[in-house]
Amino acid sequence: MGRLVALDSRTHRSLRVAPEKVVAQGAKLNMVPVVLSEFLKLCVQYPIVLTKNADTGRFVCVCLFGLSKNENLFWRDERWDAIYTPLHIARQPFFAGAGEAGKAGQADGEFVLCIDAENDSLRQDTGDRIFDEQGNETPYLQQAKAILSALLTGETETQRFIDKLLAVNLVQPMRLDVQYANRQSLRVEGIFTVDEERMKALPPEGLVELHSLNYLAPIYTMMASLGHIYSLVNRKNALLAG
Amino acid sequence: MSQPTRSVVIVGGGTAGWITAGRIAAKHRSHAEDGLRVTLIESPTIGTVGVGEGTWPTMRSTLKKIGISESDFIRECDATFKQGAKFARWVTGRDEDFYYHPLVLPQGFQTVNLPAYWQERREQQSFSAAVCHQEHICEHGLAPKQITTPEYGAVANYAYHLNAGKFAEFLKRYCVEKLGVNLLLDDVIAVNAKENGDIASVATAKNGDVGGDLFIDCTGFSSLLLGKHLGVPFIDKSDVLFIDNALAVQVPYDHEDAPIACNTISTGQDAGWIWDIGLQHRRGVGYVYSSHHTSHEQAEQTLRNYVGPAIDALSPRKIPIRSGHRQLFWKNNCVAVGLSAGFLEPLEASAIVLVELSAEMIAEQLPPCREVMDVMAKRFNETFLYRWDRIIDFLKLHYMLSQRTDNDFWEDNRRPQSIPESLRELIALWRYRPPGNHDFTSNNEVFPAASYQYILYGMGFKTDTRYLAHTLVEQDLAEEQFSRNARAIRQALATLPKHRDLLKKVHLYGFQAL
Repeated sequence: MGRLVALDSRTHRSLRVAPEKVVAQGAKLNMVPVVLSEFLKLCVQYPIVLTKNADTGRFVCVCLFGLSKNENLFWRDERWDAIYTPLHIARQPFFAGAGEAGKAGQADGEFVLCIDAENDSLRQDTGDRIFDEQGNETPYLQQAKAILSALLTGETETQRFIDKLLAVNLVQPMRLDVQYANRQSLRVEGIFTVDEERMKALPPEGLVELHSLNYLAPIYTMMASLGHIYSLVNRKNALLAG
Repeated sequence: MSQPTRSVVIVGGGTAGWITAGRIAAKHRSHAEDGLRVTLIESPTIGTVGVGEGTWPTMRSTLKKIGISESDFIRECDATFKQGAKFARWVTGRDEDFYYHPLVLPQGFQTVNLPAYWQERREQQSFSAAVCHQEHICEHGLAPKQITTPEYGAVANYAYHLNAGKFAEFLKRYCVEKLGVNLLLDDVIAVNAKENGDIASVATAKNGDVGGDLFIDCTGFSSLLLGKHLGVPFIDKSDVLFIDNALAVQVPYDHEDAPIACNTISTGQDAGWIWDIGLQHRRGVGYVYSSHHTSHEQAEQTLRNYVGPAIDALSPRKIPIRSGHRQLFWKNNCVAVGLSAGFLEPLEASAIVLVELSAEMIAEQLPPCREVMDVMAKRFNETFLYRWDRIIDFLKLHYMLSQRTDNDFWEDNRRPQSIPESLRELIALWRYRPPGNHDFTSNNEVFPAASYQYILYGMGFKTDTRYLAHTLVEQDLAEEQFSRNARAIRQALATLPKHRDLLKKVHLYGFQAL
């Protein structure tokens, strides 16, 4: 994140966003935080797991792009080689800034739409326009706002989901020893997932509770998505084979 | 007909009373209808000694077994992480003289015994720095874990420093609210005996007679049940350990972000040593000394010199110490835990760990009925007499290896008559071969061979391995351990946070349970 400034239809009227540069910013990420509402799209290609935020130790839900630091196996030939781009990537270069109380038209705690003024994807010549000639929001900006809003509500929902998994003891650390085709081996640490055995052993009232919270689908989606760890290994092997 | 153990009465709160109550109540499900009844009688008039502020790593499993969250414990007891002890000015007494007794075992401890190989490089690197990463972690003021490490999990083995007063209150709340311990705020005024000498009940000032099947004496130095009532004599050990007084003071930090030491600092003085432990909001500092080797006035001056001008606003508290223990710890249906069982000086923080070990043995092996209680008492006494003796040996080791000559205190500590025979024998062996696991074969050991190695080689002891040279053929394996350790040091220094920074995060976010 560079320098956040509030988005303004006059200052930023002629600004454009180059879409290929948006995804390029994820080129060196091996995971991003994800939200419940995108689980079904994510699980088509990415493993969805839990990990701990290095700064707070708290659990976050992420999808994996690679198994080593800075490794994004979906970034190939300068493009994002996947069907779906996670919201956290697609949202660039827009951010939600905390509103400042007292400013005209803003209540305390409300979010302000911000743009990262130093973002690599910003252009004056080519790309998607944010505002039209008259200063009205373009469909592109409206879509960006929808993504941001999905992320904002999604973060709270997803946090509640994680808290519940922890409260009912369904999270377990995952031991992952990988050996690539070139015999190079790797121990992946710090990854957690849903404990399948505990899930099976859950009493009926526990299941009913998870069901009433609409958590059963994301739980099974997470479990099913784990198979994509093998897809990651395959991608890596293909890469190593050149 | 056999008489089952249905209720336990603990006389006295404090660290000993509440740890014991917690371990027993958690194990024996006192919160449940069919669980064991645990009653603790705490005097509203008698205070606690409350200077026992250093623990062993055992405290992690003690708290876990009681059911306490580590984050809650750290937040509420002013607790900090302790990674062993730094002994300054114990060997020569000079300013640059120090060594560490870390809590991490030497690298590859179960694979290869390193001292013989280390001795070849002893001029380049201290023993503890060569074989484990903890000395470097401590010297850099780093914590033993990260915020992402689970509760009670460690990157480097650790214990705690804690505020004893807050700790007892914290345990009390937990025991009463969560574990079903019945608390009576009352004074015990008499003890009622049965014909067979068992305690039938204790008479209290307000609640009448309180009866029980097993009585636990946590009454501190007064040893009300075991010492006074049952007449079990005290075995004095001051002929081995000369410390007989403590002057304790609580020193505030210069500013609220001041770094916190991540180990106990023990600094040798002319007639004893000064402890210095860092809690979150203050330090606990105290001079323990032998009044036969210095005057109380001189001792106070020594403490002043150590603390500096900050001491002018503080009033040191004087606590007499009588090193020794009861001849028995369990007699009839009464067992003593804590100071009522005995006390040695605070070197190596043996007080709280003995409480934990006692509470563990009582909780895990609680005699199911009166018929087997005497057998249990016998086993308990054997176990703890052995443990007290091993601790006395280990404490004495620190004094007898010193080369200081500035006061008779140190000279007298080296007199062979003052050294237990068991220790003299081990030292004789270790002159020709390093300590190993085979030297400590009991199930009830308190200090592993590694601890003896850290003290011996930290204090300049030399083992002459000449006659065993033909067995020293694992040079490659030893070298591998030394380089592994060098890697572990680099890794630790690159990844571990500053001690205070981690404590702040514990307050903000807490550790995760897994």
